Amino acid sequence: MNAVATIANAVGSGRTSAASAAREVTRLLADADARGLNATLHWSATQVAREAEEVDGRIRAGAADLPLAGVPVALKDNIVTTEAPTTCGSRILERYVSPFEATVVTRLRAAGALIAAKTNLDEFAMGSSTEHSAFGRVRHPMDPDLVPGGSSGGSAALVAAGVVPAALGSETGGSVRQPASFCGIVGVKPTYGRVSRYGLVAFGSSLDCISVFGRSVDDAARVLAVISGLDSHDATTVDAPLPPAAAEARPLAGLRIGLPREYLPDDLHPGVRAGVDRAIARLRALGAIVVPVSLPHTAYAVPTYYVLAPAEAASNLARYDGARYGSRKTGTAGDLRGLYRATRGQGFGPEVRRRILVGTYVLSAGYYDAYYRKAQQVRNLLAADFSRAFREDRVDLLLTPTTPTPAFRAGEKTADPVAMYLADIFVCGASLAGLPAMSLPAGRSDGLPVGVQLIAPAFGETRMLQAAAALEAVLRGDEEVR
Amino acid sequence: MSWETVIGLEVHVQLKTRSKMFCGCSTAFGDPPNTNVCPVCLGLPGALPVPNAEAIRLATRAAIALGAAVHPASVFARKNYFYPDLPKGYQITQFDQPLSTGGEVVFDSPERGRIACSITRLHVEEDAGKSLHDRYPGKTAIDLNRAGVPLAEIVSGADLRSPAEARSYLTALKQILMYAGVSDCSMEKGSLRVDANLSVRRPGAEQLGTKTEIKNMNSFANVERALEAERLRQVALLDSGGRVDQVTLLFNAATGQVRPSRSKEESHDYRYFPDPDLPPLVLASRWIDEQGAALPELPEARRGRLIAMYGLSTYHAQELTLERSVADYFESVVGAGADPKAAAGWVLGDVMAGYNADGHFAVGPEQLAELIGAIGDGTVSHQAAKQVFVALKGDVTMTSPRALAVTLGLVQVQDSTALERWVDEVLAAFPSEVLRFRGGETKLLGFFVGQVMRRSGGKADPKGVQPVLQAKLGNQD
Amino acid sequence: MSIGSKDVLHVAALAELDVPASELQALVEQLGRIVDYVAQLNAVPAGEQAAPFLAGPHAAPLREDEIRPAPLARGPDAIAPEFRDGLFLVPRLGAMEDE
Repeated sequence: MNAVATIANAVGSGRTSAASAAREVTRLLADADARGLNATLHWSATQVAREAEEVDGRIRAGAADLPLAGVPVALKDNIVTTEAPTTCGSRILERYVSPFEATVVTRLRAAGALIAAKTNLDEFAMGSSTEHSAFGRVRHPMDPDLVPGGSSGGSAALVAAGVVPAALGSETGGSVRQPASFCGIVGVKPTYGRVSRYGLVAFGSSLDCISVFGRSVDDAARVLAVISGLDSHDATTVDAPLPPAAAEARPLAGLRIGLPREYLPDDLHPGVRAGVDRAIARLRALGAIVVPVSLPHTAYAVPTYYVLAPAEAASNLARYDGARYGSRKTGTAGDLRGLYRATRGQGFGPEVRRRILVGTYVLSAGYYDAYYRKAQQVRNLLAADFSRAFREDRVDLLLTPTTPTPAFRAGEKTADPVAMYLADIFVCGASLAGLPAMSLPAGRSDGLPVGVQLIAPAFGETRMLQAAAALEAVLRGDEEVR
Repeated sequence: MSWETVIGLEVHVQLKTRSKMFCGCSTAFGDPPNTNVCPVCLGLPGALPVPNAEAIRLATRAAIALGAAVHPASVFARKNYFYPDLPKGYQITQFDQPLSTGGEVVFDSPERGRIACSITRLHVEEDAGKSLHDRYPGKTAIDLNRAGVPLAEIVSGADLRSPAEARSYLTALKQILMYAGVSDCSMEKGSLRVDANLSVRRPGAEQLGTKTEIKNMNSFANVERALEAERLRQVALLDSGGRVDQVTLLFNAATGQVRPSRSKEESHDYRYFPDPDLPPLVLASRWIDEQGAALPELPEARRGRLIAMYGLSTYHAQELTLERSVADYFESVVGAGADPKAAAGWVLGDVMAGYNADGHFAVGPEQLAELIGAIGDGTVSHQAAKQVFVALKGDVTMTSPRALAVTLGLVQVQDSTALERWVDEVLAAFPSEVLRFRGGETKLLGFFVGQVMRRSGGKADPKGVQPVLQAKLGNQD
Repeated sequence: MSIGSKDVLHVAALAELDVPASELQALVEQLGRIVDYVAQLNAVPAGEQAAPFLAGPHAAPLREDEIRPAPLARGPDAIAPEFRDGLFLVPRLGAMEDE
């Protein structure tokens, strides 16, 4: 599959048709399914063809400005569409088809994109490996025994496998950057409020961000530009659409890059460390100034996250009670409470149940102050760490590893939930602070991709993407780093 | 030994908006079930709330009308509990940072005279849907048309000392909210609901007794009944050496008794936390001031002014200010030149008799003023005026009352020939009464006046009739 | 261990989740591990009055009071597990009935 700009130009100018892009993506989706990636949950050749026909019709009718004309985009299956089910990887929504469409989907369609597939995910986006899907785990495209990362593992795997040039995932605490790093692609999380959450099934509402995978910075940036901006249906959006040319590479001379020492512990995986070192060397070679900085509360990001996200999740997932929609299980007592408990007890998988219980616990009488309130305060300290680096150390961007290790083996961390949580140690901070951040491939370690992360001040996506594009041009992400 | 009753009330009023608190669905009452619903109020996955500006404006008005401080920043919070008519599994409300705090309602207590009941807080929230338990056997049916309708919750201090006082407070509170135009305050339509907390203690004790919460009261009269039942229950318990447990009770209007709710204690751990879907509600202080300036004169102030300006009795002022529209009408009548006391009599009499039935004033204030003027200058009798008034109500052409009196032949007759003729006819018709009068039963004079008025079809001037009657009755031949 | 089976059953009841007896012990251990892990936040000096963090805009936008419901591609009847005469149906409430 070609790059986003290539497809959009070819389809938009009439050199090729959306229909042919649809045929190609259909073939690639079938191949991916045949390979057993288990990356998709629903897709329909008929539906993609229908969408392509509509786009071709608009182009024939003279529609000129379709930035994603004929570009197939996959959606994580927690973004609602009216044609296909939105399951969130959960039994509880197994056959649920949304009566309304997410704002991002409406915007993608208006831009001429084709909704190619709904992708597999950790149930309700809770997980870091896409092993916690009710519909089976997603395989890493390079090695089926490895995980692709998560929770947006299906979208990451489809992009990495070359099925689609770009896909939407969602982040609550790194669920796009971490799988992007594992799969060797680009993953961009925007500033909280940049992209509408209307139609994103809520997990941790104060953290949730629809985010973008691309095979290149340009792929991701073009899709992000289309979906960003104010939405009257989401009170947390901000009137700050991203300029379409956000990812034009700009010279890096004089750019100040902060290197937070807390993100480079002594026991960091050597391949990951080598990736970061290579990025530093390339940045310096391009004239950037790399300076050490400190984000002293970094160690508290994961525990803070694992109070706040479950608390919000426990509340957000209360609506799945079998009364109005979704699966219903009747309890033995035959009364309503029995129905609630059976529907929820059997409909949610173990990780979701754990998080609902933890979230309920930290909000319950007697524990709120010690856990929830405290975590909100620490969240403020974490955000202040970043502000200090950007203001007082006057750095334009921060550079860190995206993950502590390359992709791990399936089953390796499922026994210990906390070990799994620590896979997100470098990505949680930017989520908690609401900052834009992205992962881009920095090379390979023993054949497996390693990523580096750039973190920018709030609404600093343009500068971040420009720097990433410049770095991308010299990083050679598919080369061994050691 | 006696007991002192301590009562606090939580009142929910529906804010008069077209659309719901957090979505664009209609708030219309009585539509077919589940027709005013959308992704937001159905609690569908991915839907998000956006607050209604008008609901915030109305709640702010209500708060200012109660003398409360409206806070420049308040926070929406989630109250988490499971119930089938609560679509999201939480209610969006306000918790530790409400829209406003403070305020009071001044009213006449039946026992203590003029007192003030403090208001603890007023906050905005969304309503739940409606559960129908008796429609299908073994099933509960859910209608979500109400879900998401905007409410203001008004919490009083524990300042009320008797069930009757609680009722007076509610009447005064409702009057203020109606004046401020924030709610219809109709208990039948569910746009006003009351929950109560009641405890008893020894007079003079500082500590409050254990309180119970009483729900399910569907009229102000039933609030009073329910609180009286609960007061008696608690006193009987304590007098017999028992202990009051902190429980929720439901009032049964049919039996007049309260009974414990079956909900479990654990369901009261609501796990409030700030709603992450909604940034703080920030109101500019200038905007808040503007809402205060835009408020109409409130009942308490208006009563005082009616007494001072027009010399009305306290009773008349009280009655005229029960509803803002009535007070407005009264002042329009006076403004059109009517004598204030006569106008008060008319408004509270003939005008209100028709008003209660259909809610609008059938006779324009200028017409009524002219009619009152016509009585004053002797053009029509009071009795004839009432006939003119009835005719005016049925008349859509806004005819002048004086012209209508002429058309109806109701203009007062002072011509003595006509009066004498009616008097003669009456005396001829009631010979035995004439004999009794002449025999000393002088109180029959009123009877004769009435008969003359009737014979004249109300046109005779009663002041002119009396001397003629007396002259003729005194005449023995 | 900060969490016992009583705590787990209490929050499971609050969250309306069945916890099969066979899974209880494992859940107690997992939740205990998670809660102990996040409890390290108590060691962070944050100050009693520290403000909570606020993501996104600092003031809620307000919507004009217009009747403009977001359209539904399919009605409640199409998504409801049980629906009759325009009403969602659930089993009788039992102990929750009178609230």
